[in-house]
Amino acid sequence: MDKKLLDILVCPVAKTPLEYNEETNELISKASGLAYPVRDDIPVLLETEARELTLEERESK
Amino acid sequence: MTDQHNDNTTHFGFEDVKKEEKVQRVADVFHSVAGKYDLMNDLMSGGVHRLWKRITIEQSGVRTGNTVLDIAGGTGDLTMRFSRLVGPTGKVVLADINDSMLKVGRDKLMDKGVTGNVEFVQANAEALPFPDNTFDVITIAFGLRNVTDKDAALRSMTRVLKPGGKVMVLEFSKTDNPLLTKAYDFYSFNILPQMGSMIAGDADSYRYLAESIRMHPDQETLKSMMQDAGLTHCKYQNMTGGIVALHTGIKP
Repeated sequence: MDKKLLDILVCPVAKTPLEYNEETNELISKASGLAYPVRDDIPVLLETEARELTLEERESK
Repeated sequence: MTDQHNDNTTHFGFEDVKKEEKVQRVADVFHSVAGKYDLMNDLMSGGVHRLWKRITIEQSGVRTGNTVLDIAGGTGDLTMRFSRLVGPTGKVVLADINDSMLKVGRDKLMDKGVTGNVEFVQANAEALPFPDNTFDVITIAFGLRNVTDKDAALRSMTRVLKPGGKVMVLEFSKTDNPLLTKAYDFYSFNILPQMGSMIAGDADSYRYLAESIRMHPDQETLKSMMQDAGLTHCKYQNMTGGIVALHTGIKP
């Protein structure tokens, strides 16, 4: 995924910036507790496709 | 005419369906037609859709360095032209809720050598994943009709638009001439699904497209919906006798 794109993306639920997790290839929103997948290099910023973060993930820095 | 009957149902063409069901059924239509979408657009409109899109581009006022959002950008017709207009210092984001359409669009733009200033995002027009005040121009061409909550989509577009920025809605609308309406209805409900069946092997999807066009808010209704969403200077121009209308509004 294009890292420059992160500058103009926010979580569609919380409307706050996202962090890219390279290991899981997901865009993380701590604010809404959701992880959005990146499929075929295209970020999928749909609430219906997002995974809920685990308690550990929410608390980790 | 409003799109919502009560809180839980909406239109899918002429049928009443649950809101969640509409999302899935519209998705199925576009998964089904994605591969043949460009060909069918040319055949169904006799190529006139290119003229409608060209007029949209001409009136967009997009210039070098602008940031443009093409919602429901599908197979990338508008994005391709915007990409040239904004140049290397600008950016075009092609957003679509449907991954099949996005992939067809990305492949097409790559084939045509359109790269560098175009980004692809899978997103819902009702909850756009961009910061406030990001875009100079936002277009949604033949897409608003398929959105479940059109008011939410218009509000979301207004939020991500820069003050002074322009929203452009290109969409099928209401014909103003009875003779044209009669011919257009015959074409839409008799010929178009048959063409869909012969060329794309899918009559139902094209029947949905014809029905959804008839259920879409007319020119004046859409204009007031745009005003309600917070846009000013809202106006529209009919093309091809009102078969299509281009609505524009400015964020104050």
